[in-house]
Amino acid sequence: MGTTTSRFAALAAAALLAPALAACGGQGQEAAAGAPAAAARQAAPLVVYSGRDEALVAPLLDKLERSIGGEVEVRYGDSAELAAQLLEEGDKSEADLFLSQDAGALGALAQQGRLEPLPQGSLDKVGRAYRAADGTWVGLSGRARVIAYNPGKIAKPPAGVRELTRPEWRGKVGYAPTNASFQAFVTGMRVLDGDDATRTWLKDFKANDPKAYEKNSAILDAVDSGEIAVGLINHYYWYEKAAEVGADKMTAKLHFPAKGDPGALVNVAGVGVVKGSDQAATAGKAVDYLLSAEAQTYFADKTKEYPLAAGVTSDVEGLPPLESLGAPEIDLGKLSSLQQTLAMLQETGMV
Amino acid sequence: MPANRSSSPGAGRRPSPLLVGWACAAAALALLPLVYLGLRALEHGPAHAWRIAVTGRTLELLVRSLGLAVVVVAACLVIGVSLAWLTVRTALPGARTWSVLATLPLAVPSYVAAFAWISTEPGLAGFAGAALALTLVSYPYVYLPVAAALRGLDPAQEEAARSLGHGPLRTFRRVTLPQLRPAAAGGGLLVALYVLSDFGAVSIMRYETFTRAIFTAYRASFDRTPAAALGCVLVVMTVLLVWAEARTRGRAGHARTGGGSARRASSARLGRLRWAALGWCSAVAAAGVVFPLGTLGYWLTAGRSGAWEPGRLLETAGATLAVAAAGAALTTALALPVGILAARHRGRVAHLLEQAAYAGHAVPGITVALAMVFLAVRYAYPIYQEPPLLVLCYAVLFLPVAVAATRAAVLQSPPVLEDVARSLGDSPLRVLRRVTVPLAAPGIAAGAALTFVVCMKELPATLLLRPTGMDTLATRLWAETTTASYAAAAPYAAVLILIAAVPSYLLGRRRA
Amino acid sequence: MTDLRIGGLVKCYDPPARVLDGLDLTVPAGLLAAVLGPSGCGKTTLLRVVAGFLRADAGTVELGGRVVCGPGVHLPPERRRVGIVPQEGALFPHLSVAANVAFGLTGTGRAERRRRTGEMLELVGLPGYGGRMPHELSGGQQQRVAVARALAPAPDLVLLDEPFNALDSALRAGVRADVRAALRATGATGLLVTHDQQEALSTADLVAVLRDGRVAQCGTPEEVYRRPVDLWVAGFVGDAVFLPATVEDGTAATPLGRIPLAGDRRGSGGVVVLRPEQLVLGPAGTRGTVVDVRFYGHDAMVHVAVDGLDEPVAVRVPGPAGVRPGEEAAVSVTGEATLHPR
Repeated sequence: MGTTTSRFAALAAAALLAPALAACGGQGQEAAAGAPAAAARQAAPLVVYSGRDEALVAPLLDKLERSIGGEVEVRYGDSAELAAQLLEEGDKSEADLFLSQDAGALGALAQQGRLEPLPQGSLDKVGRAYRAADGTWVGLSGRARVIAYNPGKIAKPPAGVRELTRPEWRGKVGYAPTNASFQAFVTGMRVLDGDDATRTWLKDFKANDPKAYEKNSAILDAVDSGEIAVGLINHYYWYEKAAEVGADKMTAKLHFPAKGDPGALVNVAGVGVVKGSDQAATAGKAVDYLLSAEAQTYFADKTKEYPLAAGVTSDVEGLPPLESLGAPEIDLGKLSSLQQTLAMLQETGMV
Repeated sequence: MPANRSSSPGAGRRPSPLLVGWACAAAALALLPLVYLGLRALEHGPAHAWRIAVTGRTLELLVRSLGLAVVVVAACLVIGVSLAWLTVRTALPGARTWSVLATLPLAVPSYVAAFAWISTEPGLAGFAGAALALTLVSYPYVYLPVAAALRGLDPAQEEAARSLGHGPLRTFRRVTLPQLRPAAAGGGLLVALYVLSDFGAVSIMRYETFTRAIFTAYRASFDRTPAAALGCVLVVMTVLLVWAEARTRGRAGHARTGGGSARRASSARLGRLRWAALGWCSAVAAAGVVFPLGTLGYWLTAGRSGAWEPGRLLETAGATLAVAAAGAALTTALALPVGILAARHRGRVAHLLEQAAYAGHAVPGITVALAMVFLAVRYAYPIYQEPPLLVLCYAVLFLPVAVAATRAAVLQSPPVLEDVARSLGDSPLRVLRRVTVPLAAPGIAAGAALTFVVCMKELPATLLLRPTGMDTLATRLWAETTTASYAAAAPYAAVLILIAAVPSYLLGRRRA
Repeated sequence: MTDLRIGGLVKCYDPPARVLDGLDLTVPAGLLAAVLGPSGCGKTTLLRVVAGFLRADAGTVELGGRVVCGPGVHLPPERRRVGIVPQEGALFPHLSVAANVAFGLTGTGRAERRRRTGEMLELVGLPGYGGRMPHELSGGQQQRVAVARALAPAPDLVLLDEPFNALDSALRAGVRADVRAALRATGATGLLVTHDQQEALSTADLVAVLRDGRVAQCGTPEEVYRRPVDLWVAGFVGDAVFLPATVEDGTAATPLGRIPLAGDRRGSGGVVVLRPEQLVLGPAGTRGTVVDVRFYGHDAMVHVAVDGLDEPVAVRVPGPAGVRPGEEAAVSVTGEATLHPR
């Protein structure tokens, strides 16, 4: 027992020493870095809070840094959690730019007055439907809701989501009730059809025995393998998978619902400048860069999402043009009012 | 010689004021998130908060969360106590190895375990899957203290029971089990609090609990009042649980009064039950250790995206080690006075301090992290998004883990040793340094190791509070899994589990 | 050289029940006093109050004229210069024997500490044991180290809390004698708490019999044994023979004949107390029947039923008893008896 105890004590001692050493090192670095940083205020990096993942954003950093002529620091996290953090930080936030996965988080920050208005020039690069009505944020890429189906299982896909409550689709549909994209779609439906109609649809849909999945990609895999016939997903999952395994190997096909169907919602991932940013001008430059043809093409290639800046089109093979989609005309900022949607989903026992 | 007036109240069995002050500081730190919760919940007036908190939905979530906690605690007690007994008190072949294997699941983050299970068997989603994943990662919280208590038990009592005509099982139930109750209850409390605050496993298993509702509230409404109001309900629940555990513990001290070391118990022969025992141990080890590791191995080889960067992995591992070690050191230092007071002074103050240390533990990591954001931005801006704040947050989150270990360790050594030291001229603080702490050192170090492991696995608070640009293994794992790059995630998960396995291994081997 | 004076000491855990109820005790400098009492009489509480681990509710404790405990005064244990030797030694398991002994030697140089440690270990008969760990020692050795540890800082008073309890009887006498010698050698005043009459009588210079939180009697072992102040003390400090008696001309008339009385007690009657060794079996004396014989090796106890007594009387006989139950025997008395009211 004696030797084990002493070995343990040694381990504990090491554990206790490590932070002390780390702290010493840290302080030294800071002291060394502190002086020049204070002297040259302009050298302070542009701080980006990114709800979009690192694999997507990080490769863009070099180009962004070159474009704005300064260093960029990125903090990655979940869009909603970063939004909550920005709200808690208030005007002391060091963040200059907020990249969000969806319009809802941007809308919430805008509502609390935490975003700077963007210059009209930046806003005008994007269609009215894909930016904030009050000019506080702008969409960078579009994500269309689609119906994926397996032609081996059904002859003809459902025309729209409203149809999915019919008996012929019983037990054949996959969806991701806890996923933000599905919840945004339901919110869109509420804005479009009203709460009562949405509640009825949700109840009937649930009664039709749909299969719940955690993620869109899992739904697509299930449709592709024939486990289910129909799935409600975002369009880019299909194109990502097609790029990886080859479009000819894909059994699943996509159906883009027609105009007027809430299932045709096009949500956006976007960007806003954080209020109180000490580098608003640089941040504005960064927004413009993100809307440039270079960045937009990058997003489009990498994510298979729709580029939103005017004049940029996606090179992705087989992707129908954005204008051809039947996206309902709703204020995307309103997608921040998810609370009611959640209540409905809970009421129907989906989440 | 003139009479010396005693200026300090530290004489006799009263605790030293410095110790109490130090413990108060720890308790105050642990209560910080509650202050924030109160402020946020009452932002729009108490009526609003009340309306949000007191609904049928809240009741339903309460039932769901408590149901999960009850099932997981019960399962952990069965697994933890049975493994402890088998590895400590029976002639189980390879008991040493089993005791290490029984501790290793500590190293597996709940989200990794849950993901491994659901990706293999999607039908597990829901209550069953959540209960399974949580049980398999948290039963060591019961196993470790119960095994330690079993080692400390005086075998003479069991022998007496056997001589009075009790069979082995009856002896276990009537003599051994009641004495294990404080250890089992303490471990069970940690498990219950862990279940209440866990987000990873329940979200992957799609089982709605209080904590998941709080996360969803942050994500869905962007309004912090509902989340805070629900958080307050969770705090009330925690206080009730801590109170219940304290009642279970009762006034029973379990320090041996003698100064000598107790005789080692002889090992019970298992006979034909040996194969059943081996089967049970293997099943738990397979489900808790082999299965998640195997899944990781599968990801490594069969994943779609195979970018693997050794340099970055090394850097991340280094950063993780540093913050987790600092977190464990600070947590242990803060837990020391609280644990000592809880073990040695059964007054109301000591009890309140211990309760306070637990109060914030069941609150989800995201809430504690936002509380730290709120407070640091206002009152400690220089350390905001610097390592010290992250380390402080770890201390708030995991104080109870270290307090429980310290209390148990101090209880193991007889108080008469401290009396002797006082009579030999040591002040209460010197006694602490020269006798109490050195004697409890192995147990305190075990607590530090346990804290180190949980700090390493922590995700939600680390995401919000880490310095911009710094990664830990847990945040890398998260970043890679959100983009479904499991092959890229696997090395981080593997290194995380490997590093966490070192202290787990030592915990398992301790006096085995 | 320091004397211990305890005056009117009161301690309640659970008022109004008093564990110590106005206890008075004086131990002259350099003597070893045994506090003897049944369990629950308050002897451990007394020890803890004197050591400073408990606060008294009233009364004073003085060490060499220094008030360590009194109204408004409570010196913490570490400033009392009172060493304790707990039950089973309670050595620090994480420290070597030498480190245990040197534990209280702070503020002295390393060389002096080493010298004193060696000196103390020699004093208790364990020279050269400094490098061992406590668990490598036998029970008796642990106890000796505990004594050395308590004596090392040269305390004014040493408290011994049933220190020989855990030792087997063969070892006990030796350790007891050594401890006593060690105390004498250092000149420390000692207070030994015990429930063992043999131990108190054989080890201490002074025996204080404790009952219900007060000292019932305090005196030399012989006084307490030979001249108990009452029947309870008489029965508690050793085997006793109680005989009903009437007093005539300074002697007591009893069923065993007339017995001279010790001291100047007068009265018409009561109970006299004899020790079994004052009774002799022989051809002459009061006749009775042997009902029981208990053999102890060095002596034997013979219980004889005598007419006029409800209970048989105990007779201590050196060596083998020489009689068997059922046989006739005659009992006579030597020496004086003490008389107590009935």
